[in-house]
Amino acid sequence: MSKWLEKVMPVLLASAAVVSPLSAQDGPSYEDILAGFSNPERWLTYSGDYSGKRHSPLQQITPENVSGLRPVWTFQTGTTTRGRGFETTPLADDGVLYVTGSNNNAWAIDAHTGRTFWRYRRNLPNDLTYGASAPVNRGFGMLGDRLFMVTLDAHLLAFDRRNGDILWDVELADYRVGYAATLAPLVLDGKVIVGISGGEYRTRGFIDAYDPVSGEQLWRFNTIPGPGEPGSETWPDDPEVLAAGGGGTWMNGSFDPELNLIYWGVGNPNPDYYGDARPGDNLYSNSLVALDADTGELLWHYQFTPHDLNDWDSNHMPVLAEVNWQGQLRQVVMVGNRNGFFYVLDRVTGELLLGTPFTATSWARELDADGRPIVLNDGSQGCVPDPWGSTNFMPPTFVPGQDLFILTARETCATYVPEKPADAPGQSNFGGTVLIDAEQGSGALRALDIHTGDLVWEFSYPSPTFGGVLSTASGLVFAGDHEGNFMAFDAKDGRNLWHYQTGSRIWGAAAMTFMLDQRQLVLIPSGTTLTAFALPD
Amino acid sequence: MNRDRPSQALIRNLTFPQRPHVLLTLAILVFAGTPWSHAQSVNPLEGDVRAIRGGAGLFRAQCATCHGADAKGISSIEAPDLTQIWSRRSLSAAAVFETIRLGIPGSIMPPHSMTDTENWMLVAYLQSVAEAGVIGLPAGDPAAGRRAFVENCSTCHRAHGLGESLGPNLSIVTSQRSLESLIASVRDPDALVGRGYKLVHLRASEGEEITGLIKSEDAFSMQLQDDTGRLRSVNKANLQMIERLSGSLMPAFARTQLGDQRLLDIFNFLQNGAQQ
Repeated sequence: MSKWLEKVMPVLLASAAVVSPLSAQDGPSYEDILAGFSNPERWLTYSGDYSGKRHSPLQQITPENVSGLRPVWTFQTGTTTRGRGFETTPLADDGVLYVTGSNNNAWAIDAHTGRTFWRYRRNLPNDLTYGASAPVNRGFGMLGDRLFMVTLDAHLLAFDRRNGDILWDVELADYRVGYAATLAPLVLDGKVIVGISGGEYRTRGFIDAYDPVSGEQLWRFNTIPGPGEPGSETWPDDPEVLAAGGGGTWMNGSFDPELNLIYWGVGNPNPDYYGDARPGDNLYSNSLVALDADTGELLWHYQFTPHDLNDWDSNHMPVLAEVNWQGQLRQVVMVGNRNGFFYVLDRVTGELLLGTPFTATSWARELDADGRPIVLNDGSQGCVPDPWGSTNFMPPTFVPGQDLFILTARETCATYVPEKPADAPGQSNFGGTVLIDAEQGSGALRALDIHTGDLVWEFSYPSPTFGGVLSTASGLVFAGDHEGNFMAFDAKDGRNLWHYQTGSRIWGAAAMTFMLDQRQLVLIPSGTTLTAFALPD
Repeated sequence: MNRDRPSQALIRNLTFPQRPHVLLTLAILVFAGTPWSHAQSVNPLEGDVRAIRGGAGLFRAQCATCHGADAKGISSIEAPDLTQIWSRRSLSAAAVFETIRLGIPGSIMPPHSMTDTENWMLVAYLQSVAEAGVIGLPAGDPAAGRRAFVENCSTCHRAHGLGESLGPNLSIVTSQRSLESLIASVRDPDALVGRGYKLVHLRASEGEEITGLIKSEDAFSMQLQDDTGRLRSVNKANLQMIERLSGSLMPAFARTQLGDQRLLDIFNFLQNGAQQ
């Protein structure tokens, strides 16, 4: 041992003995995530808190001063996203941003400067299936000193957040069949909850819980029932059809800690457009499911689109709120759905309180007494919303007090031409083609009154848009559009107050915000960049 | 698979989907036993009706989501019109085959792992839907055509080094479109206005009026080429009026103004120049 080492070793050992127990508790605990936005310098889970409202209490940036918002730094990912977007929401803790990107790149970034602490890139197989067509990722989950990320080859990884080392790596499903994973894991007390992508292939969706320390699977909820299980009566009596019934779970869920229930959207049945081989409602495709967080047991479900023929996955952020509903305080869950309807449900019982269209969809205009859509045009007759839907997974926001649900709406016109598919594992299995009228199509940021579904205000975009939404307690709404604008609006009336051209469409991502050195930062991913904005010093 | 060796081995290595489309299976079986590979420059299945049908099925399953069911592309996702690709004279069937096989790195176009036979079937389909250009040389006089082009077209259009840039460059238009559709566009330009040439009439708050072609647009601005050819940025917040016009900036040329023979002369000049 060198003289220098002899000298410093005892000091290192002593400090290790003192520091390690502390550093083990250094990162955020479950209680910290549960506390949501209470620490303004943190953003610890995909939506900022478990409710999915994406409504920050921060008030430094206001409708009065937002016109002065300026870029502070831009981070370049160095990786492109074939056909999709940079869809992540960064997590923020102790001045460090934890960011996932396309093609399973990930970084720890200095929030002050945009410079990198470490970078991770997964060595992906070259025969990816669904993961090749959507090489995206929506973010990390975080607990203590661990980060959790899913991969395009359908694994779940645990990282050491200090250096990006992989602590464990478990396979969720076989990517060669058509599985992939793209969402931000939902971290609860002693559980990492994830879902799966691949409903365009002969797959069977699930929601899984894993032990954050060991990576051991704790439970699995299959979104398509097995033969004889409840829900199987809504499918043909054919185990092969059930085993490939689709029902992906590729977008994050929300969590009610008091009820101990997680709320999660389920995707399309497979094949997407060809329904003749799967007569019936095809539960639990295109549904919202409420699961016991400890066991994965199904408490209730609501199916938005029975027997879907249009690829209108119900993979949206379920938004939880406590509202005064017709004079009664109720715990509700709200969903702006790809089928063009806005829904409010009692999240304790699953009772439907409201379901009403928020676009000009001609698919259906109302629900019957049982909450089923009265379908007027299944798409084969032309001009219903395209397979990307009337909205999609881009997060909406809820503004408490005003009781506004603000989402990105897409007005499109498509004709569906179903065709019996080849049913080959590892090959996409859409079951037909869609003719999209390229001349028709527009978008809008729409604010809905949650009590009626009525349009309170809107801001129009020239094309169908895929940007998500953030709101803040100062009365601001931040959104992105397909032309690359990152924008701020007045939550009261939808007036545009500020915009910045990022240079690439904002696709699937919503902004996040936090305080750093007494300064409010707002971050938006776009193309290959992540840009931080703040008011001038 | 040894991709350089056109042999029976290649056919034996064809992989079949578990429950393949009946038509496709038949087509592949019919073609199995024929020695060809990707190494050749000419599509061995070009014009074969069964191959085209099989290729159409493959196209619907694997390509139509981005390129549209009619192969004419979807501009919002920058997927090109595949009926127009053959107008680039340098493009061989083998190059299309390779693009399908390897994809275009850095773009949305992915590689495809289909067999060589399926790939040639797909190329045969694309060849079958190719927008037919003018076949042969139109019966006209190229020198007279050149003069007529300069007189009637060159204020807005460029071709073979002559003219201006307000309208589309016409240097290769005769290989992209049929004689009938070209004549129709000259006689009635309002019937079909392409992306980038949509017409708008604006009045700025200070009263200035601008007529121009919309090159790009977002919620806040328009990028125009005005009728003088100047590129201009317009802030929508500073406008009193936006009037979107359905027609084209191009005037209609009636027979009395530009006779049929003169038109053929112009197309002869365009085609002649394109072939040089």
